[in-house]
Amino acid sequence: MHKKLMLTTSIAVMAMGVNSQAVAKDSVFVGHLADMSGPTAFVGKVYADGVRDSLAYINANGGIDGTSLEFETIDYAYKVPQAIASYKKWKSRKKMVAMQGWGTADTEALISFVAKDKVPVYSASYSGHLTDPTGKNPNTKKPAPYNFFYGASYSDSCRGLVQWAADDWKKKGSAGKPKFTHIGANHPYPNAPKAACAEYAEELGFDVQPPVVISMKPGDFKAQCLSLKSSGTNYGYIGNLGGSVLSLVKSCNTVGTEIQFMSNIWGGDKKVFEAAGEGIKDYIFPTMNPFWSDDVPGMKLVREVSKMSDSEGKKERLHHYIRGVCSAFFMKEAMQWAKKNGGITGENIKKGMYARQNWVPEGLDGVCLAANWTPEDHRGVNQVNIYKGNYNGGDVKVERVNQVTLERRIDWLGY
Amino acid sequence: MSSLAMRPCGDFRTSYKQDNTIFETKTIRWFTALVIGLACFAPFILDAYYLTLFIQISYLGIAALGLNILVGFTGQISLGHGAFFGFGAFASAWLNTSFNIPVFICIPMAGFLTMAVGMMFGMPAARIKGLYLAIATLAAQFIIEDFFGRAEWFSGGSAGSMANPVELFGFAFDTDESFYYIALFALVFMYIWGCNLMRSRDGRAFVAVRDHYLSAEIMGVKLNKYRLLSFGISSFYAGIGGAMYAHYLGYVSAEGFTIFMSVQFLAMVIIGGLGSIKGTLMGVVFMVLLPEALEGGVGIMKDTSWGNIPMVVDGLAYIKEMAIGLVIILFLIFEPEGLAHRWQQIKNYWKFYPFSY
Repeated sequence: MHKKLMLTTSIAVMAMGVNSQAVAKDSVFVGHLADMSGPTAFVGKVYADGVRDSLAYINANGGIDGTSLEFETIDYAYKVPQAIASYKKWKSRKKMVAMQGWGTADTEALISFVAKDKVPVYSASYSGHLTDPTGKNPNTKKPAPYNFFYGASYSDSCRGLVQWAADDWKKKGSAGKPKFTHIGANHPYPNAPKAACAEYAEELGFDVQPPVVISMKPGDFKAQCLSLKSSGTNYGYIGNLGGSVLSLVKSCNTVGTEIQFMSNIWGGDKKVFEAAGEGIKDYIFPTMNPFWSDDVPGMKLVREVSKMSDSEGKKERLHHYIRGVCSAFFMKEAMQWAKKNGGITGENIKKGMYARQNWVPEGLDGVCLAANWTPEDHRGVNQVNIYKGNYNGGDVKVERVNQVTLERRIDWLGY
Repeated sequence: MSSLAMRPCGDFRTSYKQDNTIFETKTIRWFTALVIGLACFAPFILDAYYLTLFIQISYLGIAALGLNILVGFTGQISLGHGAFFGFGAFASAWLNTSFNIPVFICIPMAGFLTMAVGMMFGMPAARIKGLYLAIATLAAQFIIEDFFGRAEWFSGGSAGSMANPVELFGFAFDTDESFYYIALFALVFMYIWGCNLMRSRDGRAFVAVRDHYLSAEIMGVKLNKYRLLSFGISSFYAGIGGAMYAHYLGYVSAEGFTIFMSVQFLAMVIIGGLGSIKGTLMGVVFMVLLPEALEGGVGIMKDTSWGNIPMVVDGLAYIKEMAIGLVIILFLIFEPEGLAHRWQQIKNYWKFYPFSY
């Protein structure tokens, strides 16, 4: 009995201590939802580390011009109920001013809540329909005024790849119409760019084949590879991520297809190439950042940020990590603007996002692409870096092929 | 069944009315009324976090009760409950936005639409049972999930569809505080309805089908009718739960209504107690609060100076996920009849204290 009493008292004392600490200082709270143990943890953990290290770094280096940044990372394992509960907890108890989110599941479940509560959300869900904040495009079902993301939307990345493919086809001097196929699960995330991308491919003179469905989970995809082979597809867009991409590359390598793979942003990184092995040959994928080993001025800051969780600075981070860093730093600068213009509230942070043109966060030159958000257009970034990956017998090589700039067509807004 | 076996001695009923009563004693009845009455004041005291948990318990609880009617009372099985839940969510949003039907009418209509779909997928139950039925209903899960991805007119495809808040006489229930009342009303209403259903002729027929289908048939219970009806009612509950989920969130995405959700519903009814209505609610409360309680534990660790380093926090995240699985396994080993049974035992212990037999 005595022991129990002591334990409860000490917990109570501890909790009180924590509470009083939180009240005492000038601070704002940012929630961070991450998937580190769920189905998207493959890339979710990498991205989350980027965001978390950045928040810790910002806090350790003066916060938001003196206001310290309180944050909490919750691993919601890609489960919607947990994401909602965490959001409500932060909103009602910690007066959250902004949130760093993760995937399609949490972002879309919270669209209505964040719009009503005026909490800007920075997520890594790049669905095109999040880019229309006012519902200008008649196709937009649900305007998402408080959703932001750093990077081109899935649709825009795919358009960029298609644009690259059209040039590639011309360069190779091949005859006839190139064939284009969308490969991915029938699931909101791979489907997001399907229609938009196919439309643009057709516009550029591709012969668009019916989409090939492969499961989001790893498996044997030889049958699908055979149908890719028999349809004679030249360019295949991969909508999936992680293990599923590995299986596809391996299966198609066995079958012997002559397809040029182009993946979405989550489908290509060094980890994937090392695991997939021989099948990775001139594998095309988009990024929004340079690579870890690239020598650009902004990487210095990224390496400092990385030291927050890896004090020796030895870890080599994937490009998803760097995207997380950019996402956090754009938020930080919008918060700085908000502080100067009426205080750090959700509404002011949103306004802060529109305050600058060709915006690159301080110290991240060459790392984050210049972004332009406007009240009517949340397509922050309209550039896509196109990279090529090669397995190269174990010595994985990644090189930049091109940078494509997409026009801001009004009919592409929110689509 | 457990409640029948564990009835205290000296409890003799002399009329069918006594045997059929929802609340076993007057005290329980008054106590339940009191709890519901007190629950009405919750939004004035509790913050949005607690309210959102209650709302979750409400919509999941309604859907789980449907599954318990199917699995616990009729002895069938369904692995497609998550998809039916999703169907209700999309159906209600679709009815509202396409035909401008007021939301509070859309919710029951979505229930009936889901009921129709559920009965369609329940048809194999007329011919097959056990594991075979499980696999047949698994097909429902995949077919409906795929349908969400493709049917843009219905679900909005990959963009999802929006669901307006419930509106009554110009008042929109779009905050946690106001939606709480909808959730409370729906929960009480659907649970009382479930209790009454089980007291009716149809409810007894369900139990007869479960306990011995051959005897039931000989006694004149139409097996096919009741199996199909059970699927219908189960999907109806799932549809109502799903519709509430949609109008609470304001937005439905095809993400989430996966096989995992179906399994989670099964876990809820097994943990709560198969064939027990209050057990269902206990199971749901348990499954909703467990991750939150563990998260709270992780949170306390994070607030300490030694605990707030990424290695510890990440490690705890994994432990949290494993702990959920572990608790479920332990439950199945030590309390296979569910929380309802445990509750009964606790009650009996106090009732006979200190002279339990």
